[in-house]
Amino acid sequence: MVREMEATDEEVLVQRAARGDEDAFAVLLNRYKGMMYSMAYRLMRDPGRAEDMAQETFIKAYAALPGFRGQSKFSSWLYRICYNTCISELRKRKPEVELDEAMAVDIDGPVEAYRTKGIQEVVQDEVSKLPDDYRVAITLYHFNGLSYEEIAQMTREPMGTVKAHIHRARAVLKTRLLERVGWENLKEVMLQ
Amino acid sequence: MSCDEYQGLLQDDVTRNLEPDRRKAVDAHLLECADCQRELAVLTALISSLDHQPVIEPPGDFSAQVLASLPRQRAFYPSPWWALAIIPILAFAAWLFRGPLLAGSFELARRLNIGPGTLGQLRLPVPSSVTAGQLAMVPLVVVGLSVALVVVAATAGRAYIEA
Repeated sequence: MVREMEATDEEVLVQRAARGDEDAFAVLLNRYKGMMYSMAYRLMRDPGRAEDMAQETFIKAYAALPGFRGQSKFSSWLYRICYNTCISELRKRKPEVELDEAMAVDIDGPVEAYRTKGIQEVVQDEVSKLPDDYRVAITLYHFNGLSYEEIAQMTREPMGTVKAHIHRARAVLKTRLLERVGWENLKEVMLQ
Repeated sequence: MSCDEYQGLLQDDVTRNLEPDRRKAVDAHLLECADCQRELAVLTALISSLDHQPVIEPPGDFSAQVLASLPRQRAFYPSPWWALAIIPILAFAAWLFRGPLLAGSFELARRLNIGPGTLGQLRLPVPSSVTAGQLAMVPLVVVGLSVALVVVAATAGRAYIEA
């Protein structure tokens, strides 16, 4: 019931914003700014650039809103704009490190890093070291909650490639998590 | 299956993407393999952590900056169906210029050597009451509808691409 009301409320807000109502757009902006900034932050790995990309996402969305026909959820439409904005920016940069190079990078000593940061931050840190394709796939699947099919559609890659990126990225992250946190600490956390 | 093969299935097991038959086999193997149990525990911790990554809030002035940068003028996105309005416009234009258009059509038919005999050869089901003038309008209608169709497709395509 609440969800239905929220959906209707969102439809009304989107329609008003499409007609140029900036107050309605401000409500949508405040509702989704955290999600878009987080997504941009995870894709860009830099707070300043993430802010630029998230801002650009909303500005592009506002300009394109009159063309939004409601065929997908508003949030999915925003994700797609954010993804396209970040990816075109990432492609302007120099080539990325390969997956095996990413595995070799180790800034903090193992276990010590975990003591100061906790598992969540260690994982976030390791995700940020993944090559673009792997980081994008992992972020869209786990953070944005998209399915393999939705990611394949968004990235215009075959579903098999998306699955392979996610599986390989998880395998790398698992190895790195074990190295940095240590099995005994992990066991302790899981028993808590 | 070897432990390596079972471990290859564990990711799908944790994310509930494994077929029931394989899941049963993995569960049975896990009961008797300490290495795979450990692998499952690490994967579960990792995937749970990935699924629960926190939302990161942008700096405090984020919304104000976006609102200040919104474009004052926005692109015009007519519904693709509005583009169908071009049909009566084209029809009206054709009626206004029917004289030169018909003369042009007759001239074209003469140059291409198309006449009533051609229609007979093609065995088109044209009623005898249809005049030559009405027949000459057919290519105009076809061209008009094609233009309307292109405009509809382009409008819909533009809205899709920009969205």
